[in-house]
Amino acid sequence: MAFREIDLNMGPQHPSTHGVLRLKLAVDNEVVLRVVPVIGYLHRGMEKLWENLTYTQVVPLTDRLDYIAALSNNLGYVLAVEKLAGIEVPRRARHIRVVLAELQRLASHLAWLGFMANDIGAMSVLLYGFEAREDVLDIFEEYCGARLTVHGIRIGGVPHDLDGALVARIRTVIDGIPKRLAEIRTLLDENRIWKGRTVGVGVIEAGDAVDYGLTGPSLRASGVPWDIRKDIPYSSYDEFDFEVPLGRNGDVYDRYFVRLEEIYQSIRIVRQALDGLPAGEISAKVPRVLKVPPGEVFHTIETPKGVLGFFVKSNGTDKPERVKMKSPSFINLQSLEHMCKGNLFSDVVGILGSLDIVLGEIDK
Amino acid sequence: MTPVVADFLIPVGKIAAVILYPMVMVVVMIWLERRVVALMQGRLGPNRVGFQGVLQPVADAVKLFFKENIMQRQADKFLFNISPVLVMFSSLLAFCFIPLGEPIRIGSYTLTLWIAESPVGLLIILGLSSISVFGVIFGGWASNSKYPLMGALRSVVQVLSYEIPIGLTVLTVAFIARSMDLVEIVRRQESSGVWYGFLMPVSFVVFWISAVAETNRAPFDLPEAESELVAGYHTEYSGMKFAYFYMAEYAHMVLVSSLVVILFFGGWLPPFPSVKALSFLHVVPGFIWYLVKIMFFLYLYVWIRATFPRYRFDSLIRLVWKWLIPLSLVNFLVVALVRYLL
Amino acid sequence: MRFLRMAFLLDILQGLMVTLRRYFSRKVTIQYPEQVKEPAPRFRGILRLHRDDQGEPLCIACKACQRACGTNCFDIEGMREEGAKVMRPVKFDWKLERCSFCGFCAEVCPTSAIRFSREFRLTGLDRSGLLFHLPDMYLAGDDLQKHLCAGCRRDG
Repeated sequence: MAFREIDLNMGPQHPSTHGVLRLKLAVDNEVVLRVVPVIGYLHRGMEKLWENLTYTQVVPLTDRLDYIAALSNNLGYVLAVEKLAGIEVPRRARHIRVVLAELQRLASHLAWLGFMANDIGAMSVLLYGFEAREDVLDIFEEYCGARLTVHGIRIGGVPHDLDGALVARIRTVIDGIPKRLAEIRTLLDENRIWKGRTVGVGVIEAGDAVDYGLTGPSLRASGVPWDIRKDIPYSSYDEFDFEVPLGRNGDVYDRYFVRLEEIYQSIRIVRQALDGLPAGEISAKVPRVLKVPPGEVFHTIETPKGVLGFFVKSNGTDKPERVKMKSPSFINLQSLEHMCKGNLFSDVVGILGSLDIVLGEIDK
Repeated sequence: MTPVVADFLIPVGKIAAVILYPMVMVVVMIWLERRVVALMQGRLGPNRVGFQGVLQPVADAVKLFFKENIMQRQADKFLFNISPVLVMFSSLLAFCFIPLGEPIRIGSYTLTLWIAESPVGLLIILGLSSISVFGVIFGGWASNSKYPLMGALRSVVQVLSYEIPIGLTVLTVAFIARSMDLVEIVRRQESSGVWYGFLMPVSFVVFWISAVAETNRAPFDLPEAESELVAGYHTEYSGMKFAYFYMAEYAHMVLVSSLVVILFFGGWLPPFPSVKALSFLHVVPGFIWYLVKIMFFLYLYVWIRATFPRYRFDSLIRLVWKWLIPLSLVNFLVVALVRYLL
Repeated sequence: MRFLRMAFLLDILQGLMVTLRRYFSRKVTIQYPEQVKEPAPRFRGILRLHRDDQGEPLCIACKACQRACGTNCFDIEGMREEGAKVMRPVKFDWKLERCSFCGFCAEVCPTSAIRFSREFRLTGLDRSGLLFHLPDMYLAGDDLQKHLCAGCRRDG
């Protein structure tokens, strides 16, 4: 039976569009011809909002961008402001930031693993992933009193010190994660259905990936060794020894594998940072009303989703004149059509899952 | 026994039982599924309504009963309304041909534990279970919506493809038992002393995989793949009509499990029916054995669902046409050959 | 080797074993109303005003929290009574609906009067329950069992 092309609206109330993304699909029977993402359902006018807040008041709002990895957003913004204001952050604070950021990467990747597996139909992995994520979130709650919108980094340093009990707790949690991951990997790694759904699906070549501006684990899955933590180190990442896992084929399976491998690398970084935690202050002296000298700055960091950039322009007052955010999910979403074309409708769900997008960050 | 009782009350009672028995099993199954999946995921599952949450499905049913029935204005009213009934009807009707045990003698009267015994009972059940696919097609088409339509299309292809290996494996059983009468098949397993599942493991595995696919269950639940098609062919249904689809799906699972138990695992027979040393197992009534076995397969359904990702459409079809059908054909030939030589 | 794995469904069986093992392992569910997971000591729950050891209010109505707040949760008015050394709040409204629990108010408070309690039940049956006035802010903070939720606190 020959089907004429039909338009299919996927979302904004679809179980697997990760929030309120809407995809306009043109499908021929089950084969996808075109994908047009329609965004903006979660737009809150963040960037305009920031212009009316002081530099410090912006930080808790960055939690609400990528709510799966709130702390990474804090870090990105705070580093940009510190660069502009010329604040030197104490070494201990930098180490604590690395610990927190890598824990956040763990939490984000574990949540992603669950969502992605659930999209492909392995519903138990969702719960297993979240069980492990909960442990990490417990650490955040212990550290700064919140689990999701952590607000765990302040301009000039960090709000709390890592004491011995918390360090011990972090160690037990990160020691337990490989075991939980092994369980998930038994369910997925070699499973024929999982492989059938991921290997060779949603391929993007290295060249195309760079052209589309793909960032983060999705880019590295195509074999492009680009990790801001390695290439433009910030926050004393250069002091730690870790590898940047790379994929070869750029398909969904490689993106899955790169993220898995990053979880192990993050654990490695956290261990090193905890071992070499220097003594000292946890925050630089920052005036209560922070006035940033006029100028502009652009700073990028590597969040779990990809490269997050913050452009901050100051006019000398205590409020930023303009803050522009280059969000990784927004940019990664552009390559969706390239990956989906010619694949089956079922694969759109898997590919979208493998890109690890968060609507809070796309719509801002 | 008076003729009134024998000719009127007992048949009516049986008909009531045929409707009630699957319904009770469905309720148990829904509870089992939610609890077992939860336990496998490190959760507890529903445990508040009734003892350990057994009444949760009842509570759900009551909720669905009071929900508004929504029908799209552009929907085809007749087909939209008839399809849940069709699905439910075909599953329930098939239960008439499922024997629950050996006949019971009460004085001079023999109470048979089935409504209808037919020399071609197996064929009738297969036929009835393919009628339910019409309900799915009608439902998906009449909804006048894209996701249900895609779900219905997937369902048709899937059910039609997977009926071939089911037919071929069922034939092997019929070959060995020399009968298509379900009661007769069980009796043959008793007299030959071995369950056919152990005699023909390939037949059993192929039948089981195809049966899971035919009941639209994970990992073959593409027609209602939640993360892709929202709810597949019953996306537009609500209230009791949705409940009909839902219950029919579970009734179908119970039906298929019963069929597997009868064809391959000796129905109401205890394990190793011919071994003298194990004859004490006969103390337990046959019906209990039967239920235990059915529960095991229902548990297997849930277990598989909790474990695996979902197949993609093309690999699902590849699986059946490239693996299951050739395998069941070869299996069929081997069984036929063995049967001919012995 | 790979063929054997595929032919005997080893990957499938391994997967089934994982879920079976989990079936018998410990469950993580917390049965909420009966069991409550204790929030961490630093948990950022409902804001409360505190008194010193003599029972005197600590708040001096300096409005530092009001200025630090990014979402305008506070509406504070202070007054110095005749002969008193410090100001005291006569109006202290905190809007739970607006609060983002960032913690700036508690950080800037010079007398540590305003602090987070560990009450995490933030719901209410109507909006008026989500607006905290001065007497509400002084309610005992850390008793988790005392209040069912923020909005019902007057019944507690």
